[in-house]
Amino acid sequence: MNWLTGIWQWVDKRLPVQRAWDTHMGKYYAPKNFNFWYFFGVLSLLVLVNQLVTGIWLTMSYNPSAEGAFASVEYIMRDVDFGWLLRYMHSTGASAFFVVVYLHMFRGMMYGSYKAPRELVWIFGMTIYLVLMAEAFMGYVLPWGQMSYWGAQVIVSLFGAIPGIGEDLVQWIRGDYLISGITLNRFFALHVVALPIVLLALVVMHILALHEVGSNNPDGVEIKKNKDENGIPRDGVPFHPFYTVHDLVGITVFLFAFCFIMFFMPEMGGFFLEYANFEEANNLKTPTHIAPVWYFTPFYAVLRAVTMQIELGPMVLTAKFLGFIAMAAAIAILFVLPWLDRSKVKSMRYRGHIPRVMLIAFAAMFVILGYLGVKAPTEGRTLLSQIATAFYFAYFVTMPVWTTTNPDGPKSKTSWVLCGAFAVIFGWMGLEYIRGDVPVFLLVLCFLLAAIFAVLPLLAARDKDLEEPTRTQAKGLPAIVVLAGLALFIILAVVPIKAVAAEGAFHCGAVPCDAMEPDLNNKESLQRGAKYFANYCMGCHSAKYSRFERVADDLDIPHDLMEQNLIFGDQRIGQLMEIAMKPQQSKVWFGVAPPDLTLVARARSPEWLYTYLRNFYKDETRPWGVNNRVFPNVGMPHVLIGPQGLLECGAGPKLNHHGGALRNDVGQVEVDEHCGALKEGKIKGTMTTAEFDAAVYDLVNFLEYVAEPIAVKRQSIGMYVLGFLVILFIFVYFLNREFWREIH
Amino acid sequence: MSNDAVNQTRRRVLIGATCAVGAVGVVGAAIPFVGSWNPSAKAKAAGAPVKYNISKIEPGALVTVEWRGKPVFIVRRTQAALDSLKKVEEQGVLLDAGSNEPQQPEYAKNPERAIHKEFAILLGVCTHLGCAPMFRPDVGAADLGGEKWQGGFFCPCHGSKYDLAGRVYVGVPAPLNLEVPPHRYESESIVVIGEDQGA
Repeated sequence: MNWLTGIWQWVDKRLPVQRAWDTHMGKYYAPKNFNFWYFFGVLSLLVLVNQLVTGIWLTMSYNPSAEGAFASVEYIMRDVDFGWLLRYMHSTGASAFFVVVYLHMFRGMMYGSYKAPRELVWIFGMTIYLVLMAEAFMGYVLPWGQMSYWGAQVIVSLFGAIPGIGEDLVQWIRGDYLISGITLNRFFALHVVALPIVLLALVVMHILALHEVGSNNPDGVEIKKNKDENGIPRDGVPFHPFYTVHDLVGITVFLFAFCFIMFFMPEMGGFFLEYANFEEANNLKTPTHIAPVWYFTPFYAVLRAVTMQIELGPMVLTAKFLGFIAMAAAIAILFVLPWLDRSKVKSMRYRGHIPRVMLIAFAAMFVILGYLGVKAPTEGRTLLSQIATAFYFAYFVTMPVWTTTNPDGPKSKTSWVLCGAFAVIFGWMGLEYIRGDVPVFLLVLCFLLAAIFAVLPLLAARDKDLEEPTRTQAKGLPAIVVLAGLALFIILAVVPIKAVAAEGAFHCGAVPCDAMEPDLNNKESLQRGAKYFANYCMGCHSAKYSRFERVADDLDIPHDLMEQNLIFGDQRIGQLMEIAMKPQQSKVWFGVAPPDLTLVARARSPEWLYTYLRNFYKDETRPWGVNNRVFPNVGMPHVLIGPQGLLECGAGPKLNHHGGALRNDVGQVEVDEHCGALKEGKIKGTMTTAEFDAAVYDLVNFLEYVAEPIAVKRQSIGMYVLGFLVILFIFVYFLNREFWREIH
Repeated sequence: MSNDAVNQTRRRVLIGATCAVGAVGVVGAAIPFVGSWNPSAKAKAAGAPVKYNISKIEPGALVTVEWRGKPVFIVRRTQAALDSLKKVEEQGVLLDAGSNEPQQPEYAKNPERAIHKEFAILLGVCTHLGCAPMFRPDVGAADLGGEKWQGGFFCPCHGSKYDLAGRVYVGVPAPLNLEVPPHRYESESIVVIGEDQGA
């Protein structure tokens, strides 16, 4: 061991390894009362590492060209060993990054971690957040799906709102007259090289700045002010080993949640991976509903909330421009938070009532904005987004009023103007919408907020901060207080959302979707489905991201059987499931080229497909003599006419929003004479309805399989991973308890 | 502080155990990263066995078939060519006349290094530094040793010589015979390169 010590001393004389370790780990004294909220810093570092490593691995198989990007992502998902896992780690990691960063930011706002002397820590953090948004946005473009494309289109077009230079700027960003492969290439370079370097540098600055001034804590106490005779803070513990073992517990719990989502619901209901993004980018067709990924939606909602334009003499500030300004301001205002907060007290534990309620309301409004950004706008939702946006700004702008330490501050002229302005805005909103189609609750909310802001200076004058302690107290507040705060937050967030939540359209065109539960373990059903797919679909539709061999192996179909019955022409079994028909020809025949079906079950849904395939009906006005109730005026002929026959329109009940029969005032069912139901027609099928439904079930089941062939294995691997994490948790839990036994 | 010693032991055990479990986790997490470097399904499909109809090859001629991106030489050897193999052996100029080095599957370890004598199936990659040797069936070629040359392969890069069974000459840089790729005959005329004979 002697020579090892020798090498160590040789290096340490030339490189400050020991000093760096001591400064940042071994002798970095952190307050001993870190609670739950203090996990999110280390967790964001963990996710950053995950993103870097998986990202590097993804670039090994990704192809950053407009022609190859989408296919290469499916190549990663199907053909590369564990490629699906690397991609899900990266896509889940992107959302997880924002989850932990938002919670980390909320922690900072709650405990005043942005206040002196930590302003720079906050500013570096906010810059990280800004760069992270750019990084995430460009990353989302790379799979080159429909959402990638149209998301890029919308976000890049935002810059077009800047008067004068806007259009030229947009063209410069795109490098083309539309979002194209050129844009994709530069976004790729920025996403994988430039922005990660910036991000890493900022993270280093964030941590260096923090370690220079020391960590804040739930009590907002400066532990450096109270040191023992050795110069060690009395309320501090060395980061290592105490917080390393402590963080391991948080990391393990986080990994459990992370892996649960990644292995069992990687799309997270369309929030982490949007359904429309399983369709390749098409510059001529916008998806019916565009929403950014969830972490951008609060700001997207701010953008949409601005619907008015301002005329200043000859100059017109359009709603588009003002929306852009509002969105930019919503982010920018966070940077100056350290100077808006005038209070001497850091932590919400020792603040007055107004700052506490305001913070909870602010968080609720942020969630509301996030919700509204996902939803298609209605009048009620627009009003709510305007209320939430106004509150978002009111929170920051009036903050100096209700945080001032000057006893006469709240009643100063400036205070009255600031609060009065927002009172007017809320009141004006209410009046504006009073005749609109909006829930009464929202109007009440408008006037309530107007009243509150009108008297806010008076309330603020009576509100007093408490005395800050000199030593750290408990990690957490009494459960009752925490629960009360949580309850208030939930009420403030959920009630307004509920008021505007009403959904209109069905998910399956003119009818509600029929239930369809895929069963990927039913190999026989999948085999039959594969046969139907080859016989009825592959004449016109390819499944070009899937390979015959994989399908054969996964579904237990012997290779020779597969070659004889399911592979047409001279294709080899290892090849992709392409078809002979060229898209150019088929476009002439059908008007649109039949889409590739590999991912259709992920882009639509099994329910949609199951309903769609069973709802063709006779319609002589259409080129193929058929129409569809789920997909009106579809260009596809009724391929399954043989087994199903040709249904015809008949009278049936009109449907209400929930799929039930619509009733008139006297309670009778209203009848749609035109096409309320489909009836058996003159052309009969070879199958009974039940047989046909079963056949379509098999076909859709197969489509669900082929959309994500790894699904079954993914879940079984997930069970092992979660099991392992439970075991790991037991160990880290006891390790943590062992070290913290003596600390009180 | 009387139980300090006990604490230390317990602490060490806990640290050791946690590290061990953590190490298992790290190894597990490494699996996808290491595994993803294996040939993908696309590479495997491209490297799948290749079928070739050998009945069309003229006697004495060579065809090149691509398998896993490498040239595979198929030579239809005439009786004279097969006789030449013995002559070269008698000259004593071969490094590994008995094919003792594992440069061929077991079923091709014979004087002709083939399943069917008539067809030599060889990987066209020089065992020296990977150039593709040239087919030089011209017996007595002046540039390849005149009288003694019985036909074979000559690598233009560094002058390595092989006979018509791909056996390497002595005194050339190449250390090994040309490799015989795994192959099997599906029928008299169809050979599958890349799949072993048997079963």
